Amino acid sequence: MTLFDTLFTALRGVTANKLRAALTTLGIVIGVASVIVMLALGNGTRAAVEANFRFLGSNKVQISARQTLDDGELVPAGKILSYEDGLLMPAEVELVDRVEMWVQGMGKVRYGRAVLDMNITGATVDALLALASAARLQPAGWPEGEPLTPDAFLSQGRFFTPSEVLEGANVCVLGSETAQDLFAGDDPIGETIRVDRQHCLVIGVLAEMEMVDPEERQRSKPNELLLMPVSTVVRTLYEEEPSISVTAHVSDESRMAEAKSQIADYLRGRHSIEKNADGEYEDDFVTTTRQDILGAQQESARIFALFLAAMAAVSLVVGGIGIMNVMLVSVTERTQEIGIRLAVGARRQDVVSQFLFESVLLSAGGGVLGIAVGILLIPLVATFNQGNALLDPGSIPLAFGVALLTGILFGLYPAAHASRLHPIEALRYE
Amino acid sequence: MNQSDSGHSAARSWVIAVEGLTKVFRMGSTEVHALRGVDMQIAAGEFVALMGSSGSGKSTLLHLLGCLDTPTAGTYRLEGRDVSALSHDERAAVRNRRIGFVFQSFQLLSRLDALENVALPLLYCRRSGNARERAAEALARVGLADRMHHRPAELSGGEQQRVAIARALVNNPAIVLADEPTGNLDSQTGTEVMQLLAELHADGRTILTVTHDVQIAGYAQRTLYIQDGRLLNGRRNDDAV
Repeated sequence: MTLFDTLFTALRGVTANKLRAALTTLGIVIGVASVIVMLALGNGTRAAVEANFRFLGSNKVQISARQTLDDGELVPAGKILSYEDGLLMPAEVELVDRVEMWVQGMGKVRYGRAVLDMNITGATVDALLALASAARLQPAGWPEGEPLTPDAFLSQGRFFTPSEVLEGANVCVLGSETAQDLFAGDDPIGETIRVDRQHCLVIGVLAEMEMVDPEERQRSKPNELLLMPVSTVVRTLYEEEPSISVTAHVSDESRMAEAKSQIADYLRGRHSIEKNADGEYEDDFVTTTRQDILGAQQESARIFALFLAAMAAVSLVVGGIGIMNVMLVSVTERTQEIGIRLAVGARRQDVVSQFLFESVLLSAGGGVLGIAVGILLIPLVATFNQGNALLDPGSIPLAFGVALLTGILFGLYPAAHASRLHPIEALRYE
Repeated sequence: MNQSDSGHSAARSWVIAVEGLTKVFRMGSTEVHALRGVDMQIAAGEFVALMGSSGSGKSTLLHLLGCLDTPTAGTYRLEGRDVSALSHDERAAVRNRRIGFVFQSFQLLSRLDALENVALPLLYCRRSGNARERAAEALARVGLADRMHHRPAELSGGEQQRVAIARALVNNPAIVLADEPTGNLDSQTGTEVMQLLAELHADGRTILTVTHDVQIAGYAQRTLYIQDGRLLNGRRNDDAV
C-alpha cells in the first residue's frame, strides 16, 4: 500500500464523521493554543524587559541606596548613597572608569510673575542620554533606530560642562514646555530664574521630546522639565542630603563580578559596614548589572516554562485520550471493514498505518486549528500582561510537532488493536 | 466445456491439494474437532460445489482453503506450494494474489463506490499501477460497466454480489472461493449469479462454492459432501444426470 493510498484511505475514514472528528480534536486545539499563547506571553515579557533595560549597558553597574519600608514609607536602610560616594568612585575603585549620577527632586521655579511647582532633575552630563533612554524618551519625530547624541536633545544653547557639574554651578537647561511656560516665547538663554531660593542661569533649552512608544504619548508630559548639575540639586533643593543614583562604567567588561565586589568593598569602607555575627555584610546599597536583570528574567521564564509545560501536558493528554477513545470506538464500528480488508490481502501493518494515519490526521487537524486559535488569542491575552505578548515563531513547529506526537502516541494502541483482529471473526461481526 | 477426466490423472496439476487436513478448536477444556482429516484435490478449471449441513465443517474447510486460518494438522498445497504454515503476512499476500472471495453477505465497503470496492485488493498489492483500469475491466466482465460509481446502497442485491465477484476476480486469482453466494438473494437473482459463475468457469476459472442448495450445486461439475468433519465420497454431477 503506498503512502498516498494510506493517507487517502485515512482521510476518508476521518471525514466520514466530521462532527465527531471536530469534537475529538477539541482537546488538542486547546492544548496547542495554550502552548502558542503561553510562549507568546513569555516571549513578549522577555522582549519588554530587554527594551526597558536597554539603557543599562553590559559594562555598567547601577548603584542605589537600599531602601526599606518603615511605617508605609520608603526610607534608606542605612547610610545614603551620597554625591561624594559617587564622585570619588572612579578614583578609588580600580575597575571603574567614570560614573553617571542623577537625582530627582521637587522645586518651585520662578521667573517674573510665573511660578511653577515641578520635578527637577539633577544629573551629570553623560547621565542625560541614559535618563532619556530609561524614561523611553526621544526628540519628537526622531527616526527609528537612529543613534542618539546629547546634541539631538538640545534646541537652543548648551548643556552644562563637567567642570560646572564639579563646582555645582547655578546653571540649568529647560524643557521646551517649561521654557514656554516661564518665558512665553521670549528668549530664555542668559536669563536668570529662581529655583527655590537660588538664582540660576538658563544656558539651554531642550528640543521637544516624545515617548518612544506611541501608545504612551498621551499619558506623560516629557517637556515639563528642568535639568541642573547633580551637585547643584543636592546642595540647593534639600535640607538633608539625598541619596543619588549612580551608574559606574567598568573598564573591563569581562570582569563585571570583580567590579561589583570592588564597588561593594569601596562603599562598605565609606559606610563603615562590618561583618555581622553570621559573617555577612548588611549592605545599605544595591548593585545591579544587566546580567543580574537577565538572570532574574531567565529564572522567572523558567518558572513560566514549567507552568506552561504542565498546562500543555494536561490538555494534550486529555486530547490524546479523547483521540484514543474515538479511535477505539471507530475500530469497533468498523470491525467488519477490517475483516474485509484483511480478507482481500491487507497485512497487519496496512491496518496499523490506516488507523494510525487517522489519529495523526485528527491530531494534525487539531494542531493547525490550535495554532490559528492561539495566534488569534495573542492580542487578547496581551491586555492581561501589560500588552506584552509576541508570537514566538519557533512555537508553531513546536506546537504542531507535539500535536503530531500526541496523535501517534494515542493512536498506536487502537491501531494495534485493529490489526490484531482475526479475519474470520471480524467478517462475522455485525 | 467437457472435462470428463478431471481430477483423476496423475499428470494433472492441482490448484488445491489437501491431505489429512485437521482443525481442532479449543474452547476452554473441551476440544471441538471441526475437521478430522480431509483429503481433496481440485484441478485447474474445475467448478466444484461443497455441500454439508451446518456444523459439518464446510465453513472451516473454506476458511482453511482461503488461508484465513491455519490447520491444526495436515498439509495444504495451493498451486503446488505448501501454504499450511505461513506467517500472518504471507497468508495475507496469498489471499491478496491467489484467492478471490465471494461472501454470502457480499462484504462490500459501504463508503466506497463499486469501482473502489473492486480495486480494494489492488490497494494491498505492489503491482497496482493501473488499478482503476483493471477494476473497470473486472466490473465490465460482470456486466456492471454502467454502475461503476454507485455505492453498494444504491445497488440491488444481485448487483452487489456481482461487484463482489468482480473484486474476487480483479487480481486474477488461482481460485475463486464462494461461500453461499446466493444465500441472501431471491431465486431469480440467485440464478443470475450462478449463471455468471458458470460463465466464468467457461472462461477457464477455477471455482469452489459452498452451498446447501442442491439446485445451486447443480451448476458445478462435481459436488463434495462433508459431514462431521469428513468428506464423503464425491459425486460427479454429469455422471448423475
